[in-house]
Amino acid sequence: MNDQWPRYEVFKQERDGGPFRNVGSVHAPDAEMALLNARDVFARRPACRCLWVVPAAAIVATPIVVNAAGDAEPADASGPLEPYAVCGKSSERQAMTYVDYLGRVEARSAAEALRAAPALGAARIWWVFPERVISRSDPEDAPGLEAATGKLFRMSNQYHTVVTMQKIRRGDEGEE
Amino acid sequence: MIDPTLAVPLADRLLAMADDELILAHRNSEWAGHGPILEEDIAFANIALDEMGHAAIWYGLRGDITGEDTDRLVFFRNAGQYRNVQMVELPHGDWAFSMLRQYLFDAAESIWLGQLAASGYEPLAQAAAKIATEERYHLRHTSLWLRRLGLGTAESHARLQTALDALWPYARQLFVPLPGDAALVAAGILPDPAALAHEWHGRARPYLTECGLILPDETPPRRDIPRTEHTEHLMELLAVMQSVARLDPAAEW
Repeated sequence: MNDQWPRYEVFKQERDGGPFRNVGSVHAPDAEMALLNARDVFARRPACRCLWVVPAAAIVATPIVVNAAGDAEPADASGPLEPYAVCGKSSERQAMTYVDYLGRVEARSAAEALRAAPALGAARIWWVFPERVISRSDPEDAPGLEAATGKLFRMSNQYHTVVTMQKIRRGDEGEE
Repeated sequence: MIDPTLAVPLADRLLAMADDELILAHRNSEWAGHGPILEEDIAFANIALDEMGHAAIWYGLRGDITGEDTDRLVFFRNAGQYRNVQMVELPHGDWAFSMLRQYLFDAAESIWLGQLAASGYEPLAQAAAKIATEERYHLRHTSLWLRRLGLGTAESHARLQTALDALWPYARQLFVPLPGDAALVAAGILPDPAALAHEWHGRARPYLTECGLILPDETPPRRDIPRTEHTEHLMELLAVMQSVARLDPAAEW
């Protein structure tokens, strides 16, 4: 039995008008809590303007794992035509490789969205999901996401410990 | 500049505000590494750090009046010299207890801050407005947890109700005026604590009921406990919190 809360992928926008980039994931009982958790894990130290959380279960990614029925692609559901978010990971070389939000396509299924995805750019890995599953932070909350640069006590260079320890190691403590 | 006759009352009020935040921050920090899940561990540690930051701001404003050093205030006062409410010094209990305590405090603090932002003492007004941004997140976080615990399983509900029964009688101390408060209220520096208490009841009571909780009977109401009185838990807390600083009072960090 799985006793874990569902996983949500977190997308972060650093500045107004900037791109949304997947920065990692959080576990949460629902999207509302996922957004709060995402703020605590991914905002405030680095710059942040807006956060999205997307239930990981709603994301279809390539390469598509062959399922039990032997289907190499997600089945084409005959869903309504709706906007799908298309995200791509363009490099696998960096230690930190990000999945970027590239834009939207209109599609009736994840499979259809994946086929349309290359029109938005080049990528090694694709993620698609219906845009309706995205939960976005409220624009009014932006001040609470910003980097807390005024909190100097959080920063190790605000304490003399490092310098003092270096002095002690050099054996010149007390000398100026 | 502050009117000299108001300096002592204002310094006393700032100390009470700072001590509440510091002691609560310390209690919450005890959860670091022990939260129910990693994300919540981080979130609650963040809240603890925020409250510690608020304490630093209030101690700093007091220091501007009295010339005192924040580290001396924090690490070299004894329990009898602390002015926090008893609610924040109680041991952290289970998760429901800590969430409920934080909610009661956040709900009170957000009301205090809303009014302090209009204080006639400009440094206080500015600090209150700044802190309010963070406080909004705390209140949202704890509000969501209360709803989930209160309306969750039989066990989570029972634990939250037990926490409310224990904490409710303590919470009203957050609004008990200090001896010098009346002069500050008259000067437009401080909101009237009695009016704030009324507003707090107006918000907290319906929300707690919405979370499926029953508010404890308060007849007869408890006496007003002054902030000079503490439980034995504060001594234990300070012994831990101050132990390193007191090993070598001249040490630098």
